[in-house]
Amino acid sequence: MKNRKMQGWAVACLMAVTAVFLSGCSAQKGPKNLLPENEKKRQTVNLFSPMEKSIPNAVNVARTAADLTVAMAEEKLDVTVDYWTYTAKDYQDRNYDEVCLDRARNNMDDIYLLNPDVILKLGAEGALMDLSGLDSAGNLREIIRVANTVDGKLVAIPQEVVAYGLFVNVDLFKQYDLALPNTPEEFLECCRVFQENGIETPVGANRWWLETFVLAQAYADLYNGGNTQAEIEALNNGGARYSDYMRPGFEFLKTMIDQGYIDAEKALVSEAIEGEGADFLAGKTPIVMAYWGAANTETAYGKTDFEMQVIGFPSSRGQMPVMPMTGWAVGANAKHREDAAKVLDVMISDEALQLFAETNRVISPSKNVKVDCVPALQPLNDRIEEGIYVLGSNAGMDVEQWGNTCLIVRQLLAGASVEECMEAFDELQDAALGK
Amino acid sequence: MSLENWKRGLLMKERRNRQEKRKGFSLLFSIVLIFGILGTIVFWLSQKTSREMSDASIQNLSESLDLIQSTIEAILCNEVQFQELVAREIARSEDPEAYIRACEENQMMSKIAMIPSGETEGIASTGEIFTGEGLDFSAGGTVLGMPVSESYINYMGTWSYTIKCPVERDGQEIGTLYGEYIYDTIDEFLPAEGFYNKQAFLYIMDARSQRFVLHPKGMGQRNAGHLNLDDFYRANDIREPGIRAEVEESLQTGRKVMFYHDIREEQALNYMWPINDGTIFLVGYVPIDVIQREGRSVNQNIIMVVFLMLTAFILCIALYYLNWKQQEKVRRELEEERKFHNQQLAEALRAAQLASESKTTFLSNMSHDIRTPMNAVLGFTSLLAKDAEDPKKVREYTQKIAASGQHLLSLINDVLDVSKIESGKVVLNLEKFAMDDVIASVDAIIQPMAKAKRQEFCVEETGSRHEYLVGDETRLNQILINLLSNAVKYTPEGGHIWFRVATLKQRSSQYAHIRFEVEDDGYGMTPEYLEVIFDAFTRAENSTTNKVQGTGLGMAITKSIVELMGGTIDVFSQVNKGSLFQVDLELRAVEMPEGETEHSSGEEPEDPDILKGLHFLAAEDNEINAEILEELLEMEGASCEIASNGQLAVERFRQSTPGEFDAILMDVQMPVMNGHEASCAIRVMEREDAKDIPIIAMTANAFTEDEKAALAAGMDAHVPKPLDMELLKKTMKQIRKRKE
Repeated sequence: MKNRKMQGWAVACLMAVTAVFLSGCSAQKGPKNLLPENEKKRQTVNLFSPMEKSIPNAVNVARTAADLTVAMAEEKLDVTVDYWTYTAKDYQDRNYDEVCLDRARNNMDDIYLLNPDVILKLGAEGALMDLSGLDSAGNLREIIRVANTVDGKLVAIPQEVVAYGLFVNVDLFKQYDLALPNTPEEFLECCRVFQENGIETPVGANRWWLETFVLAQAYADLYNGGNTQAEIEALNNGGARYSDYMRPGFEFLKTMIDQGYIDAEKALVSEAIEGEGADFLAGKTPIVMAYWGAANTETAYGKTDFEMQVIGFPSSRGQMPVMPMTGWAVGANAKHREDAAKVLDVMISDEALQLFAETNRVISPSKNVKVDCVPALQPLNDRIEEGIYVLGSNAGMDVEQWGNTCLIVRQLLAGASVEECMEAFDELQDAALGK
Repeated sequence: MSLENWKRGLLMKERRNRQEKRKGFSLLFSIVLIFGILGTIVFWLSQKTSREMSDASIQNLSESLDLIQSTIEAILCNEVQFQELVAREIARSEDPEAYIRACEENQMMSKIAMIPSGETEGIASTGEIFTGEGLDFSAGGTVLGMPVSESYINYMGTWSYTIKCPVERDGQEIGTLYGEYIYDTIDEFLPAEGFYNKQAFLYIMDARSQRFVLHPKGMGQRNAGHLNLDDFYRANDIREPGIRAEVEESLQTGRKVMFYHDIREEQALNYMWPINDGTIFLVGYVPIDVIQREGRSVNQNIIMVVFLMLTAFILCIALYYLNWKQQEKVRRELEEERKFHNQQLAEALRAAQLASESKTTFLSNMSHDIRTPMNAVLGFTSLLAKDAEDPKKVREYTQKIAASGQHLLSLINDVLDVSKIESGKVVLNLEKFAMDDVIASVDAIIQPMAKAKRQEFCVEETGSRHEYLVGDETRLNQILINLLSNAVKYTPEGGHIWFRVATLKQRSSQYAHIRFEVEDDGYGMTPEYLEVIFDAFTRAENSTTNKVQGTGLGMAITKSIVELMGGTIDVFSQVNKGSLFQVDLELRAVEMPEGETEHSSGEEPEDPDILKGLHFLAAEDNEINAEILEELLEMEGASCEIASNGQLAVERFRQSTPGEFDAILMDVQMPVMNGHEASCAIRVMEREDAKDIPIIAMTANAFTEDEKAALAAGMDAHVPKPLDMELLKKTMKQIRKRKE
């Protein structure tokens, strides 16, 4: 009985082996074209965006999040999105904004990720497409819509509300028994204590983001005093001077520079994060400034050995987040403008923004998308949820804020006096008023 | 099997075991060796395949890069040729400046400008004044002999380079023509649909600034972005000084470089590929898994084969081990069995040796024991011859001769008993008997013996006993007499002997549980002797030194009979204090049927003259025995005629007249014809009395079986030798009664 069973198995195995052998032999090679049929050529959309310098084996979640939404668009629209990028080598190199302006003006690409001043410039030049017709545009928060509207056109749409804040090493604050500062005076006092305790430069800075201090102090009342529109109107018609708003912030920065709380020379030639990041991560610098997403990504401050918190900038109204509006724009005369608009429509759809926000843990520009933030961002998030913040850029203002303030702060860093800086603002305002 | 052979067997077995083990090890070693060799071959093949695959990968990538290099160089050449053509056109035109202004941006050139000779500025196609500021030709790069500038970001915000060429009219240089070209153009001519399935990386790098000026669309992951060579190497953790030196040398000399380095934890083939004599480079990497997709499959197959081989190897080992274990188990069992048998054989040998020794001792004892009464017989016979005239002495001597003869007879009977018991020929003759009779007969025998030695013999009975029991009365008597006579023998004069019969609690309603105890206060026994007391051929003392005579078989016989009866015997003894024997028996109890009285079958009083006047035919080959028979019969008033063998006896009976002989006394063992044959021959004779004449076996073969054999041969009765005339009389009487 057992032997018969064994024989049965042996025969079955032999048959299986024979079948496999025969099937292997019978695969005939007929005279047919071995190459697959040509696929339909997919439409291409060129996308231009900045790229941070790479760190080995580190993941840039912001980039990953954007990639996911691009991939979503590719899949839904059956198009190919080609990336183009530029990164400045150093401060002497042409910066991303300049290259963006050139590329957009020469219609080199279809979709651009632009900083607020570039949005304003290109928007004013009519180089950007009006995106208000996109289906997804209806989901945007009102503040986003207002901040990105130039001459009645919605020229850019962000995937995240970029909020700038102070990244502080809470361990060092505790070590020196310091409370997190709310006002400029408290901030200066903290710097003094740090300096007395051997931390020569308590604030790490670069040539890009120091204007956040100025804007926080300048517009804390304007945006949170309940009279925003009237005040902006006054600025636009010359009833109020930008220099009056800007002065306290510049004087504050001047004090910081004079006291050595900021290394002006270094800041003037430092790229964002590159210049100050290493010292902050090493615990040598207790305070730096950066954007919301930097708290999430390993390429910035997503992984620290100490307790980190992100708070607003010091102002008369307490800690103040500063929110400039970077955004995606489509070239008005881009080669593939229609396809690009469709791609962007998908990229800013609620579905894509939900994915983006979950990946990057940011505040979404869509009123329909909400995601919890990382604990370090909670103080900043609380202020924003309270509605207390200043805009870093506002297309409603005739004088572009984000880029101009940045450039004038650089003058201060380079040794200009506060008065000279105020004159520069006056000149800009006068130019805007057509004087 | 001798001890020597046995030891030799053990040694051979050990050697065999060792050989088997050695065989097992060498087999295992061979398997390991074969698989080791196979494994080495597979490893070598896999290494060889890997090397070949690596070579193929390098060649494959080199060919692809060479193709890209050729394409880009061809583009550069075309650009120069186009620019020279434009220069010639400008030279021909009357207003070169107007010509320049009229040039529009085209696919090949993003800007064109000319600076007339001897001037520092000229006009560009975009309309602005052109000074050539910002253009750096110091690196010395050329295309077809025309200088090419370092790469820069142009007014369109994209990486570009400028080639300058002279504008000559009539052999005289009238200006320099600057043509600006963007790298994006090159991308148009490269495969957009993929370079190694878009998994590979490729940048075009400006050699002078080491800036990455183009990341062609189809060349690698789209989300990658590197600023320059340093950024690229830093991001991919390529820091080895050796590699960096090679790269540096490549930048200086324009040599091609390709090396292995892990990129994001994946092995990759990295390269630096100069174009246009090293003014620009192709920089990037291809993951090995991408370039060797089929290689991975080959490797997987190799791993699969190796895995299968290993599995087969392990299975082989496992099967071998199981088989070996099974064999080992069987071998061990066989060995155990053999060991057991050997042990049994050794024990048997030892027992045989012991038996042999015992029998030798026994024979020695027997020789002594037989010689002693024999000496008495012969001695008194001599004395008898001498004092034949003195009737008093004659009577005394004959009494002593008779006593010695009796002793000899008891010796022989004991030996026969042992022989029978050992050969399992004893059969109990179960009959109803009265316990009182047993006690009475024992008392009758022992009491005189005890008195003779002035010993006190007490019989005690306890418990309510059954009157009648079923058992072999004779053998029970034998047991008790054996024990008691021993007690008498081994108790000095004036000692005490107790015989107790106790009825114990019944274990079964049908069987009486009886304990017989024989106790004395005699010599006692040593513990060593107690251990062997029931063995045959042993005696407490060597008979040569013992004043007590015996065969040394009594206790062995006693124990054997007790056990045959399903009982037990125990002994307790201390030297010089006495001994106690306990025999426990279970005998079936019966009630005496009514009307039947004891001795109801009562023997009739013996007739002392029953033999008187009878004439016997005696077949006896031994003359002395024949003579004794004649004398004894004569003493009883009978006569006999001797035939010296069976044949003669038969012949004599045939010749006799009917009634001539009253009976035939037939010896069994005789020459020519034995007693059985002779009896048969007589019985089959056609004579009237042949069937009736009593034939009595008279033989030294005294066993019951002998008696049965005699009866089967047609004889009427059996009388053992030495001849007891009383028994003969009794037998004759029984025969006669039967015949009547």
